[in-house]
Amino acid sequence: MLSSSSSYFVFLVAIFFLYWPVARNRALALAAILFANYFFYAKWDLFYLYLIPVASTVDFVIGLGLGKWQHKGVRRALVTTSVLWNVGLLAAFKYMPFVLENWSAVTGAAKPEWHWSFPIGLSFYCFQSLTYTLDLYRKDAKPTQSYLAYLSAVSFFPTTLAGPITRVSSLLSQLEKKEKTLSMEDGGRAVFLIGLGLMKKLLIADYLAGNLVNRVFDFPNLYTGFEVLIGVYAFALQLYYDFSGYTDIAIGSALMLGIKLPPNFKMPYAAENIADFWRRWHITLSNWLRDYLYFSLPGLRSKWKIFTYTNLVITMVIGGLWHGPSWTFVVWGLLHGVALAVTRAWQTWRGTETNPAWWARGLRTFLTVQFVCFAWIFFRSASLESAWQVVNRIASLSFSTANISMPVAIVLGIAALGHYVPDDWYKASDRMFVRSPFYVQAAVMALLLMAIHYVNATGAAPFIYTRF
Amino acid sequence: MSLPRYPTLTIVAFAGLMLLTDVVPALHSYKVMDWNTVPGVLNFIDRKPSATPEAEEQQRLRPDTARQAKYPLDDDEHDLDRFYQALHKAEGKGKGAEARILHYGDSPTTADLITSDARTLLQKQFGDAGHGFCLIAKPWAWYAHRGADVEGHGWTVDPVNQSTIKDGLFGLGGVSFRGGPGATGRVKLSGPHARMEVAYLKQPGGGQLRVFAGEQDLGVVDTEGAKAQSGFASFALPADARQISVQAMSGPVRLFGMMFSKESPGVVYHSLGVNGAYVSVLAKFFNESHWREQLQHYRPHLVIVNYGTNESVYPQFVDYASEKELREIVRRLRAAVPEASILIMSPMDRGQRMATGEIGTVPAIPRLVAIQRRVAADLHCAFFNTFEAMGGMGTMGRWYAAEPRLVGADFIHPMPGGAKIVGSLLYQALLEGYNKYKLRLIQKKTMVAGK
Repeated sequence: MLSSSSSYFVFLVAIFFLYWPVARNRALALAAILFANYFFYAKWDLFYLYLIPVASTVDFVIGLGLGKWQHKGVRRALVTTSVLWNVGLLAAFKYMPFVLENWSAVTGAAKPEWHWSFPIGLSFYCFQSLTYTLDLYRKDAKPTQSYLAYLSAVSFFPTTLAGPITRVSSLLSQLEKKEKTLSMEDGGRAVFLIGLGLMKKLLIADYLAGNLVNRVFDFPNLYTGFEVLIGVYAFALQLYYDFSGYTDIAIGSALMLGIKLPPNFKMPYAAENIADFWRRWHITLSNWLRDYLYFSLPGLRSKWKIFTYTNLVITMVIGGLWHGPSWTFVVWGLLHGVALAVTRAWQTWRGTETNPAWWARGLRTFLTVQFVCFAWIFFRSASLESAWQVVNRIASLSFSTANISMPVAIVLGIAALGHYVPDDWYKASDRMFVRSPFYVQAAVMALLLMAIHYVNATGAAPFIYTRF
Repeated sequence: MSLPRYPTLTIVAFAGLMLLTDVVPALHSYKVMDWNTVPGVLNFIDRKPSATPEAEEQQRLRPDTARQAKYPLDDDEHDLDRFYQALHKAEGKGKGAEARILHYGDSPTTADLITSDARTLLQKQFGDAGHGFCLIAKPWAWYAHRGADVEGHGWTVDPVNQSTIKDGLFGLGGVSFRGGPGATGRVKLSGPHARMEVAYLKQPGGGQLRVFAGEQDLGVVDTEGAKAQSGFASFALPADARQISVQAMSGPVRLFGMMFSKESPGVVYHSLGVNGAYVSVLAKFFNESHWREQLQHYRPHLVIVNYGTNESVYPQFVDYASEKELREIVRRLRAAVPEASILIMSPMDRGQRMATGEIGTVPAIPRLVAIQRRVAADLHCAFFNTFEAMGGMGTMGRWYAAEPRLVGADFIHPMPGGAKIVGSLLYQALLEGYNKYKLRLIQKKTMVAGK
C-alpha cells in the first residue's frame, strides 16, 4: 500500500475516525495506533506480523534491562545485543545475497542459495529501533514501561516505509501524552502537506521518471551526451521530489493523528558545500549516521586528526551500503565520504568564510550540485558498468535535444524553480491554505486529485526510498 | 468521544465532492474516485513460502520457459525447408556443414538484443560455426555484439540511412567506413575462431590495409581495383587469437566489416542491425547489384527481414508504402540468393502513452503486422508474428509494469530479459518448424521405402 495510493488514503481516513474518538483513553489510543501500524505492515506482507512484533519485543526487553541495570559491562552487553540483533536482521534479509555473491566471485565457489527476500522498509525500522536502545544506553532517554506504547511507537506506520527516521523516545513522549488534540492549524497543515506531497510525487517525480530519467538510465547509449547529462539533472530533481513528496505525506499523515515528525529536507541543492548538503538532504538519516555511527567510531578524541577524516569516509560508505547491497551504493557513499573529508580538511586549514560574495556562494552551490549529481549517477545506475556507460556518454560531448520534448523541458524548469522557492513563499502558501475555510481546502484537494488523475493515470510508481 | 472538528469537516467535504462526480450526471467525466476499490483496502497478500521464488517469477513473466511455441511460424509453402536442410546437415556434424542466417533489423538488432539470444540457443542446439559479421567500429554508441567487443577510430562512418554518400555501397551490414592511414578497427572475441574475413570496397586509387591477430601481422590487403566492387580477404587465425584488428596503411580505404568463422559445423548467425532502420533501407538505399554481390558471397540459407518499429509512427508510410517496399526487398533477395529461405519477422509491440494515461500499442502496429503477413503469404515467404507471440496489444505496457522491467521506459527497446523472451520465442518457432520438417523427411523416406 503505497502512501500515494487511494487505498492508503481510505486507510488513513479510517484510522483518523477510529483514533480520535478514543484518543483520550491512553490504552485505547495506543491500541488504535498499533492496529493501524500492523494493518499497514500486513498490507505489504503478512510475514511482517511475525517479524515486527518479535523484533520489537527483543528491543523492548533490552530497553527494560538498560533501565534497570547500571553496571557498565551489563549495559554494554545489552546494547551490543540490540545492535547485533538489528544489524543481524538487516544482514540476514538484505545483505546476505550480496555477501554470498561476492564471496562466490572471489573464491570461485558456487553461490549458495539464499531464499530470504528483503522486507520493504526494514532498513528504516532497524535504524529507528536502534535509536531507542542506543539512547537508553547513553542515558539520553528513559525507558518506557508500557509494552503497548513501545510497540506503537517503534512501528509507527507513517515512518515505516521510508522515514523520516524518528527517535523512538520522541514518538513515545507524544504517544504517551494524555492531552491529545488536533488544532485547526495542524489539521489544515496535515492536509496541505499531503496535497503537496502528492503533487511532488505524482505530477513531477513520476513524470520526469517516465519521460526522461528511466529512458536515459535504461539505455544511455541511445542518447547524446547532452541528453544524458540533462537526464542526470532530471534524476536529481526526480529523487528530491519523490523522496520529499513521500516525506510530506508521511509528516502530514502523522499530523492527522496529532504526532509531529521531524523535517527531512531543506532546499538541498542550494547547499554551498557537501557538508552543507548533508545538513539539508535526508536530514534524519544524516543525523542518525552522525549521532549513532560517526560519534561511536574509535579515534575521534585521538590527537591524530586522520581519524576525523577516515571516520567520515567509513560513516558514508556504511550509509551508502544502508541504501542497498550493491557496489554502486558503496561508490556513492565513498564519493560523499571523501568529499566530506576533503571539505572538513579544507575548512580546518582555511577556516570558514563567514560572509562570502554572492558570486562566490553561487559558484560553490553550482560546484556542489555538479558533484552531487555526479554521485547520483552511481546511486541510480543498476551496476557500476551501467554507471560507467552514463559517464562515458556525457564525456562523448555529443549534442542533440531530440529526445527532450517541450513538456519534459517545462516540467524540468518548474521542478528546478520549485526547488529554489524561498522558504517565506512556502510558509505563506501554507498559511493561506491553513486559514482557508474547510470547503476551500476540500475543493483544492479535489482539484489536485483531478489534475493528478489526468496527468498520471497509470498509477504511481513505488517511492524510490521504499526500496532501501 | 470527540473528533477534531475542522479536519473532519474537510474530509467530509472532500468525500462529498468526490461523490458528486458519481451522482451528478453532468460531472461524470470528472470522476476520479473509484469507490469499488475501497473494499480492496482489506485485501492482504499472503507470503507464500516458496523454495524457488525466482523460478516462479520466471515462469510467470517469461514465456521462453514454455515447452512449446504458442505462435509457430506461418510457413504453409515450406519455404524454410531449404534452411532446415542446412540445419539438418549441421546437426549431422558433417565437416563444414553450416547453416547461415542473416538477420536484418533495427535498433534492438544493432545492439545484438534478441539475435544474440537466438544465436546462443541455435548454436547450443546445432553447433557453433562462428560469431559471424561485425562492423569495423561502433557507428553509434548503441552498437554491441555479445561475444565480440568492437572498437575503432579514425573512420568516417556512413550508416546507410544517414549517409552523405549516395552510391548505396554499404556492404552486408549497412555501414561504410572510410579512412586513411592510421584508421583502425578492432574486435575482441570471447572465444577462438579459425578464420577471419575482411569485407572492403575495391576501388580505383584504393589504399592498403594490414590485418593483425594481437601483435601478429597476418597480411596486407590491397583495395586497389579497376572499378568499385565488393572485395573480401580471408586469413587463418592463430588458435589463441582473440584480438583481431585492421589498420589502414595508405590511401583511402573503404571497409564494411569483418566476419569470424570456425571450422566446426553449426550455425552462423549474422546480426545486421542499423539504428533507426526501416524497410526502405533494403528496398531503396542499398545499391541492388552491390547488395547482390554481398549476399552471393555470404550465401545465406535464411534471411530474416525484421523491420516495422520505426515506420510504425508514420501511419501514411505504413498504409501506402511499406507493402510495396517489403515486396521489393523480397524481390531483391530472390534475385540475389534464390536458394535462400526468407522469413519476414514482424516488429515487436511498440508502446505509447494513451490519452487515458495507460500504455497502449501504437495504432499502426497491428496494421503493419497484417500487411507483412499478407506479403509473406503472397510471396511464399515464412512469417513470424513477433507481436502476437510476445502477447499482442498492450504487451509493452505489461512489460513495463513487470518486475524486473522487460522493456525500457521508451516502451520500444527491450531490456535484456525482454530481448531474451523474444529471442527464445523465435528460436522455439524455428525449432518447432525444424522438427516438423524432420518428421516430413521421415514420412517421405518411409513412403519411398514402402513403394
